[in-house]
Amino acid sequence: MIGERWTAYWFVLPGTVLLAAILGFPAIASILESFGLQGGAGPAGGYAALLSDAQFLTASFNTALFVVCVVTLHIILGLAVALLLNSQIRHLWFFRVVAILPWTVPDVIGGLIFRFMLDPLSGGVNALAIRLQLMQQPYDWLGDPDWAMVSVIMAETWRGYPYPMLILLAGLQAIPKEQYEAAAIDGAGAWATFTNVTLPSLMPMILIAVVLDVIWQCRLFGMIYGMTNGGPGDATQNLSLFVYRQYFQFFETSYAASAAVVLAAVLLAVAVPYIRATLREKD
Amino acid sequence: MQHRRGFWLFVGTALLIMAAYNLTPFFWMISSSFKTDIEVTSYPATLLPQAFTTAAYARIWDQEGFVLYFINSIKVSGGTAVLSAAVGIFAAYGFSRFRFQGRTALMAMLLITQMLPGVLLVGPYFKMLSLVDLYDTHLGLILAQTSITLPFTVWMLKGYIDTIPVEIDQAAMMDGATRFQSLIHCVFPNVLPGLVATTVFSFLLAWGDLLWALCLITTPEKQTMTLGITNLVGQFRVLWSDIMAATVIGCAIPAVFYLMLQRYLITGVAGAAVKG
Repeated sequence: MIGERWTAYWFVLPGTVLLAAILGFPAIASILESFGLQGGAGPAGGYAALLSDAQFLTASFNTALFVVCVVTLHIILGLAVALLLNSQIRHLWFFRVVAILPWTVPDVIGGLIFRFMLDPLSGGVNALAIRLQLMQQPYDWLGDPDWAMVSVIMAETWRGYPYPMLILLAGLQAIPKEQYEAAAIDGAGAWATFTNVTLPSLMPMILIAVVLDVIWQCRLFGMIYGMTNGGPGDATQNLSLFVYRQYFQFFETSYAASAAVVLAAVLLAVAVPYIRATLREKD
Repeated sequence: MQHRRGFWLFVGTALLIMAAYNLTPFFWMISSSFKTDIEVTSYPATLLPQAFTTAAYARIWDQEGFVLYFINSIKVSGGTAVLSAAVGIFAAYGFSRFRFQGRTALMAMLLITQMLPGVLLVGPYFKMLSLVDLYDTHLGLILAQTSITLPFTVWMLKGYIDTIPVEIDQAAMMDGATRFQSLIHCVFPNVLPGLVATTVFSFLLAWGDLLWALCLITTPEKQTMTLGITNLVGQFRVLWSDIMAATVIGCAIPAVFYLMLQRYLITGVAGAAVKG
């Protein structure tokens, strides 16, 4: 349309300027800070120090372990529940509502609920386990480094799985009915239909769910802050918590920024295929 | 597809197990919030409150100032949602209806910014807000939250506007309407359900945040719900009945909103991820 060349810019300008100010500026400031431009160890000094920092390496390992376990469980549970919700059973609306409920809980609140459930003195888990005679004494789950990690994974598995489930459910509903009918005519059983029709059609959606969930879980902060605050020791401290501590408790701002940039770089690397695919698909 | 009765029995049982799994933590939270402060710390724990009381709610609401935190959270989340929607609708319209130089680059930036971790931004943000005297203010927190909600608001709204036929705009402009008028009068009414859904998602994202409030708010009277609940635990004596009552209140708003938006959840949240 004639004379419209500049109109587009007027529409996108306010949003772009606002984002540049509130997002672009801090992001660039963070990257500059990570190179220690305000004195300190010199360029890239923070990055070199990270590699020999046992706390950072533990936090990286914790993040990786946590994300792999949580995302795997999310996809398995999410796929199972999505399949159930995709069936034409009666009273489905009730289960649909219940299925998304955990995800509506703010993550720090989820962490607090689980922290109380696992409380050594008055928590429900110990009470139940003792009543079922699974153990004799109450146990301090969150005081044990290994069990603390298992507990945090379990808590986030519960809270977060409806998100990939919703993505997978959308994928299931997009599979054409004809494909199932064709499989039925060929005499395929439930399992054969699942592996030959459902799973291949759903694969792109599973990949999307994995990528987006990995990004969410890598950034997770409130759940762990509320549940264990990274403890005991640094047994459940992930990278988000590590950066927060370095910045706001030890005031090692340049060092914290280096760790944050590393985390951001990993997330972007994970997201690049998704971003490219999304942009290509759209236009 | 025809299924045997055994199949439905299996599906029904599995769904019931799912419901029990999903609801157990809620049950524990709600049950504990109605216990007395003695019962909630007793050993072994009781399943249901022996002496039903709403004392915990009264305590946190009046004495601990949760009525204030609640209002603060509404203010901050509401401000974030309205700001994102107001700015986002124009940008979304621009991206949806025009092909201009730098469009793809800007859209790629929108996607990339959604991947950035909050901890990358929160430090510089803290310094930035101190410089412009917005540290420890709700406005500062709203701007910070908007940096998260605005990119996905634009992206989701663009998806909704894409589904509205261009012919509607063109017809309006044939009749002499400007671009702006055609957005307000033709696109806006059609995109309203999507706009409401997007706005509520922004609201809930801001509502659930802890990191930004933790780093940018220091005055106790300015705390949000999540920050207030977290600080309740940090105190010397952990009173779980009070904390559980606070979490019930903190969960109630998101739960009600999400359930109202159920219809949009699949097309909205998943759709944003799926259709882009």
